[in-house]
Amino acid sequence: MMKKKATVFLTLALAASLALTGCGSKDNETKTEGGKNKVTLTLWHNYSGDDQRAKTMRSIIEQFQSSHPDIKLDVQAIPPDGYRTRLKTVAAANEMPDLFVMWPGVMTKEFQAGNLIQPINELLDSKKEWKDGFLPGSFDGFTVGSDIYSAPIALSPTSILFYNQSILEQNGLQVPKTWDELLHAVDVLKGNKMTPIALGNKAAWLAQSSIFSSLADRVTGTEWFLKAAAQDGAKFTDPEFVKALGYMKQLGDAGAFPAGFNAMDNTQMEQYFAQGKAAMMIDGGWALTNLATSASAEAMAQMGASVLPSMPDGKGDPNTISGVVGTGIAMSNKVTAEEKDAAYELMYAMAGPDAQKRVLESNQLVSYKVDLDTSKVTPIFAKVYELVNTVNRTPVYDGVLGSAAADEVNNGLQELLMGGKPESIAKKIQEAQARAVQTDSK
Amino acid sequence: MNSANRTRAFIAVGLLPALLLFVTFVILPILWSAYYGFYDWKGIGKATYIGFDNYAEVIQDPVFWKSLQNNMLIVAASVFGQVPIALVLALLLMKGSRLHTFIRSAVFMPMVLSSVVVGIIWGYIYHPEIGVLNFVLDSIGLGSWKQQWLSDPDVSMYSIMVPIIWNYIGPYLIMFIAALNNIGSDMDDAAKIDGAEGSRKLFSVTLPLIWDTIKVAVVLCISGSLKAFDLIYVMTGGGPAHSTELLASYMYNNTFSIYRYGYGSAVSTTIIIVSLLLVAGSQYLMKRGDRL
Amino acid sequence: MMLRRTKSGIVNGLMIIYALITLYPLIWLFISSLKSNEEFYSRPFQLPTKWHWDSFSRAWKISDMGTSMLNSIIVTALSLVLTLAIGALAAYVLSRFQFRFKLLVMGLFLLGMLIPIHSTLVPLFIMMNQTHLLNTYGALILPYVAFELPIAIFIIQAYMNTFPKEIEEAAFIDGIGYWGIFLRMMLPLSTPALSTVAILAVLRFWNDFSFALVFISKPALKTLPLSLSMFATGYMTDYQLTMAALAMAVVPTIIVYLIFQRSIMQGMIAGAVKG
Repeated sequence: MMKKKATVFLTLALAASLALTGCGSKDNETKTEGGKNKVTLTLWHNYSGDDQRAKTMRSIIEQFQSSHPDIKLDVQAIPPDGYRTRLKTVAAANEMPDLFVMWPGVMTKEFQAGNLIQPINELLDSKKEWKDGFLPGSFDGFTVGSDIYSAPIALSPTSILFYNQSILEQNGLQVPKTWDELLHAVDVLKGNKMTPIALGNKAAWLAQSSIFSSLADRVTGTEWFLKAAAQDGAKFTDPEFVKALGYMKQLGDAGAFPAGFNAMDNTQMEQYFAQGKAAMMIDGGWALTNLATSASAEAMAQMGASVLPSMPDGKGDPNTISGVVGTGIAMSNKVTAEEKDAAYELMYAMAGPDAQKRVLESNQLVSYKVDLDTSKVTPIFAKVYELVNTVNRTPVYDGVLGSAAADEVNNGLQELLMGGKPESIAKKIQEAQARAVQTDSK
Repeated sequence: MNSANRTRAFIAVGLLPALLLFVTFVILPILWSAYYGFYDWKGIGKATYIGFDNYAEVIQDPVFWKSLQNNMLIVAASVFGQVPIALVLALLLMKGSRLHTFIRSAVFMPMVLSSVVVGIIWGYIYHPEIGVLNFVLDSIGLGSWKQQWLSDPDVSMYSIMVPIIWNYIGPYLIMFIAALNNIGSDMDDAAKIDGAEGSRKLFSVTLPLIWDTIKVAVVLCISGSLKAFDLIYVMTGGGPAHSTELLASYMYNNTFSIYRYGYGSAVSTTIIIVSLLLVAGSQYLMKRGDRL
Repeated sequence: MMLRRTKSGIVNGLMIIYALITLYPLIWLFISSLKSNEEFYSRPFQLPTKWHWDSFSRAWKISDMGTSMLNSIIVTALSLVLTLAIGALAAYVLSRFQFRFKLLVMGLFLLGMLIPIHSTLVPLFIMMNQTHLLNTYGALILPYVAFELPIAIFIIQAYMNTFPKEIEEAAFIDGIGYWGIFLRMMLPLSTPALSTVAILAVLRFWNDFSFALVFISKPALKTLPLSLSMFATGYMTDYQLTMAALAMAVVPTIIVYLIFQRSIMQGMIAGAVKG
C-alpha cells in the first residue's frame, strides 16, 4: 500500500517537471512562426468588461482585424483594476507593448521622460480634418513641448451637479445657482429629513475630482491654480486656497452629505442618488455609464444636470465644469518605421471620427465634435452632453498636480470633512507639490 | 561510500531542489528590490543613487508609523484572536462525526471566498445607512451604541479586526486538528500516567505536545498579518485619511500608484526587517514558554 | 452524566449557529449572482425579485472562463505536486538531521514567509523576461512553488517533529535507507500535514492575481483571477457578472477542500497503527 503511494507520488512529480519544460519549448515554436512579411503589432487595452463602451471598442478592434488581413494583431484585454500595475511593471523593464491605452497628464509625462513612447504629430498632421474635429484643449494632457503622444477617445467632465427634479420641487427648491442658494437648499432638505447631496468618498479621489476641483477653481481662478501647480508665483498656502478649503469644510459642516460617506464608494453613491435618497449629487461623466447599466428608466427621467453654483467673490468663471480628456492609444518607442503605418492605421481606427461617434453612442462622452443622435442614448446622457458643449472646461486637480500631491489633496479632503484644519492641510499639499516640482527640475 | 557521506549526500539532495527554487525566485528578487531602495527611481528611466535617503524618509513619514501601528493591532488581533479561537474549536471538533465535519468545513469556508465577497458583505453589515449592525442595535434599544463603523477613524480599525479574525480562523483550525489527531494516542497515554484530567490535561499534556504547531501558527499569523491588506482595501481603501492604512498598501501605493518605485522598495525592505524582528521576538518568547 | 450531556448540547448548538454564520457569505454569493445590478445595491440581503439564471452563462462566455479555468487547473495541480514533493523532502531533512548551516537554512525559509509579494514583481519580471520564461506555465508555477515552500516546510516539519525517533531506528535495522524511510514512512504518516498544506496552497495558487496579471500576457494562458476581474471599468463593477463568475470559480476550491479535509483526519488511524 505504502509503496504504491510512493510510486504514484514520484511519477507525478516527474510528470510535473516534464510538463514544465515541455511548455517552454512549445512557446518558442510559435514565436518563430509569424515571419512571413506580415506586420505584427501588440495592443494592450482595458476594455475588458460587458459595459457598452468596452463592447464598442472591442468590436472596433475586431472589425479592424478582419478588414486588415496584412496586419497581425496580438490583442490583450487586461482587467482595469490591474491595468496600471501591469503597465508600470513592463515600463520598469522597458518592455512596452507596441500600442497601449495611456492616460493623459502624469502618465504621459512620465512615460515621455522615460523615453518609452513616440509622438504621433505626423499622423495628426496628415489628417487635418480629424485633428481639427477635437474640442479645444483635447491634446493638452498628451502634449510635452510641441510633441503630441496620443489622441483622446473619451472625455470626463468631473464636476456635474446632478439633481432630482421631483425632490427639489417637493421641497419648494430650485437648482441652486449661488453658494448661498446651495447652503439654503441644504438647510431646507435637512429640515425635511432628506439627504441634500449624495457622496461616496471611500476611494478618496471623488471629493477632490468632482467637488473640490470646480469649487476651488471658482474661488481661486484657473490662472492661480496653474501657477501654484508649477510653484511659480503662487503657493497652496496662499489665502485664496485656504479659503476654498474653508468653503468645502463649510459644506460638510452644514450636513450636506450622508452619514458615513467615507465608507461608501462612487457606485454606491450613484445608486443612492438614483434610488431617490438624495436630492443632488456632484459626480463626473462616468456616472452616466454607470447609471445606464444600473438605474431604472423612471429614475433617470427625473434627473437633471447643471454646473456647480458660483462662489462669493470668486475669481474663477462660474459657468465652467472641471474635466479631463480620457485615455488614448499611445505608441511605444520600439515601433519601427515599417510598422508605423500599420500602427497609425489602427490608432486612427480606434480614435478617428467613426470611432468617436460610436463611443458617444455607447453613453460615453468624447472630446470630439459629433452630432448626437439622442434616440441612441439615455435622456440624462443627452442633457449632460448638451451642458458640456455649452460651458468651458477647467482643470482637475489630480490631472495637473504630481501624483504624490494629488494623493495629499485626496486624503486632506477626507481629513477636512472629518474636522481637519484647512491651514494644516494646505501646508501638506504645498510641501508635496514643492517636492515634486523640485525633483522634476533636477 | 561510508554512512556519514551517505547522510551528507542525502541532506544535500533533499534540500537542493527547495533551496534552488527558493533562492532563485524569492531571495534574489527581494535582494534586487532592496537594492532599488537605495535609488531615487520612478520605475521608469534613469535612477539616481541616493544612499539611505529613502530609508530616512520612511522613518520620518507619519503615515508609515500610522500604518505600522495599524499592522501591530492586526498582528495582536490575529495572534490573540485567531490562534486561541482556532485552538478551542479544534479541541471541540476533534471527532470525525458528521456534525463536527460539517462545522469544521463551515468555519473554513470564508477562506475559499475572495476578499471582494467577504469585504462587500462586511461593508453592508457596517453600512452607515442600511447596515445590519446599526439596525440590530436600534431594534434592541441600544441606538446610542450606533457608530460610523468604517468611517470614524476612532473605531474603524477595531471594526475591521472582527472580520479579519473571523475570516482566517480556518487554516489554523485544520492545522491544529491535524496535530491533535496525530498525538491522539500519545496524549491519552501520557495523561493516564500523569493522572491528569480536564484543564490540567490540556496544559500539562496536550499543549506541550502540539507546541511546535502552535509556534508555526503564530509565525504564520504574524507574517500573514503584516502582508495582508486586500480585505481591508475592499472595506475602507485605507481611509479615511490614512486611518486604516497598512504597511502593504502603503508600499503598494508608492511603488505602483505614485511613481516612487525606489521609495516603495525601501518601504518593503523595512517591512521585512520589522517582520523579522517580530517573528524573532515571538519565537524567543515561545521558547521560554517551552521551558515552563 | 445528565449535566455533561446538556452542556455538550449547548456547545454543539452554539457551534452550529456559528457554522451557519460562517456559511452565510457563500450562500449570499450565489444569491447575489442571480440579482440584477440594481437589486444588488437596493436589496443586498433579500432574494432577487427576478432570477437571472443567465448571469452564469454570460459571465462564462464574456470572460472566457473555459480557457482560464483549464489553465488554473493545470497550473494549480502542477504547482501543488511540486510544492508537496519538494517541501516534504526538505521538511524531512530539516526535521530529522543535524548539520551545519541548518539554522541558516531555516532562517532563510523563514525570511521567505515575510516577503510582500508585490515588491518582487518587477525583479521577477525582468528575470523571467531574460530567461524567456514569460508566457509559459512555468512563469507561474515556479514562483508559486518557491513562495509556498516556506509555509509548506514549516507546517510539515512541525508535524514530523512529533514522530518518535524509534520508528526510524527500527527501519534502519531492517536495512531501509533514507529514501525508503522518507517515501514509505514519513510521507504516509504526514498525510494530515500534507493535506493541510495542500488546501492552503491550492487556495493561494487558485486565487493569485498579481503574478498571473504580470507574467502571463497570452490570452490562451491566462488564469481564473484575471477572468474574474474583467467586469469592472475602473469607475464601476458589474456585480451581477462578477458574483456569477466568483461563484463558479469557488466551486472547485470547495471540492478540493472536501477531498483533503478527509485525509486530515487520517492522523487518527496512523496514530492507532503507531501505538
